[in-house]
Amino acid sequence: MNRKLIAATAAGMMLATAGAAQAGAPDWSKVPGKTITVFYPGVTPIEWIRKGVDHSGARGMKKGETCVVCHEKEAADIGKRISTGERLEPSPIKGKAGSIPVTVQAANDGANLYLQFTWKQPPSAGGKKMDADNPVKIAFMLEDNKVELAHLGGCWSTCHNDLRTMPEAADDKKTKYVKDGSLGTGVYYDLLQWRSGGGGKSFDGYVADKRVMEGGKGLVSAEGKESGGTWTVTFVRKLEGGEGDIALKPGKTYNFGFAIHDDNATGRYHHVSLGYTLGIDTKADINATKQ
Amino acid sequence: MSENFRADSLPPRGRGILRRQVAGYSLITLLVAALVGVMLWGGFNWAVEATNSLEFCISCHEMRNTVYQEWQKTIHYQNRTGVRAICSDCHVPKDWTYKMVRKIQASKELWGKLTGTIDTKEKFEAKRLTLAEHEWERMKKSDSRECRNCHTFDGMKLALQKDRSRKQHEIGLEEKKTCIDCHKGIAHQKPKGMKGDEDDDV
Repeated sequence: MNRKLIAATAAGMMLATAGAAQAGAPDWSKVPGKTITVFYPGVTPIEWIRKGVDHSGARGMKKGETCVVCHEKEAADIGKRISTGERLEPSPIKGKAGSIPVTVQAANDGANLYLQFTWKQPPSAGGKKMDADNPVKIAFMLEDNKVELAHLGGCWSTCHNDLRTMPEAADDKKTKYVKDGSLGTGVYYDLLQWRSGGGGKSFDGYVADKRVMEGGKGLVSAEGKESGGTWTVTFVRKLEGGEGDIALKPGKTYNFGFAIHDDNATGRYHHVSLGYTLGIDTKADINATKQ
Repeated sequence: MSENFRADSLPPRGRGILRRQVAGYSLITLLVAALVGVMLWGGFNWAVEATNSLEFCISCHEMRNTVYQEWQKTIHYQNRTGVRAICSDCHVPKDWTYKMVRKIQASKELWGKLTGTIDTKEKFEAKRLTLAEHEWERMKKSDSRECRNCHTFDGMKLALQKDRSRKQHEIGLEEKKTCIDCHKGIAHQKPKGMKGDEDDDV
């Protein structure tokens, strides 16, 4: 009898939570969308980005210019040149999409952040599937203005020349990391990911001195569906968080970036965004306003 | 005329005629000498200009099989407006004095040709960085004089440029950069092992 009561209460609470999430969910047709083009980045780790002789944009970065200032309008062109192997890609994948335009919408209801990503699936390149389980993965990172260069490049500070799948990798298991990263000092990114395999799975972790995929307390739900060739993935995250979560406060902006692993891709073979700011009820590149 | 002819044995009128004849011959000689001078000078400069033609430069396979091929893939070869920069536009000064200095320096290249210093792809690649650095140094010293034959900051309408170019040129103006500081590799492949300036790193 007790067990049944506990089970019923638990079920009731879960429904209530889901209900709460649903109740707060915005009318997406009323939420403004920003088109952000994610592009294929090839081999452009942060070490390459920082060297003026390799990437002349380093001169601008010294002056505090964001990547967006120079590269936003040409993101599709950059992706095309890299994916075809013209530049910065020693092993191009024939037929790989250069870029994917994504509509990003954000809103909050006082307790949760709602993020929705919508994009049209590019044609598959065919060929061997790197991640047979997951045709599509999408992840975003948030950071509270502590990680070096995150205010310019979004999640690019997690990308290094020694990561797994990079040409100079010595360790084929080395995950993304942040230089001098640690949860204790606040030098880390909050990471949320949705994978399409197995009916859809979600992960809430962080990237500090290494990437940890689970343990975050912020994620409420992540749902994705594909319809007529268009993907729509919606994340719901509590504004508050636990260890490894960035606490999101109204009136503040956070550094933000996201990536799509399209066409069963893995590792570095994703399409990434430049760095943007996410604001909670405040002016930013993407403003998650209260609905 | 007699061998013992002497002008002062002439009556005054005859001396006048002779003076005019000598003057005449001198004038003609001067004119002819000037004409020959012009032809020689013109010929000299024609020959120098012949060494500035694209055909002359690529008559050496060292250039034809390497940097010429690379240049053909760049904007200085083919672009929207059809304005082309050939080898001498960037590598030979237009001003006569600077041009002569460069031509004398370039005679060293004849020795290189004779001894085959870069006569294979492998030798060329091995020397690419050195050769590039020589040119960059020469351009830096002259404040990118050959670039400025065609391009000037004054002549640039930054508002018409794309975001990245505009931002880089704004920074270049602010930091008083010269063209070659940033535009290395504009017409030929960038060599491996470029050293770079730490001041440009972040």
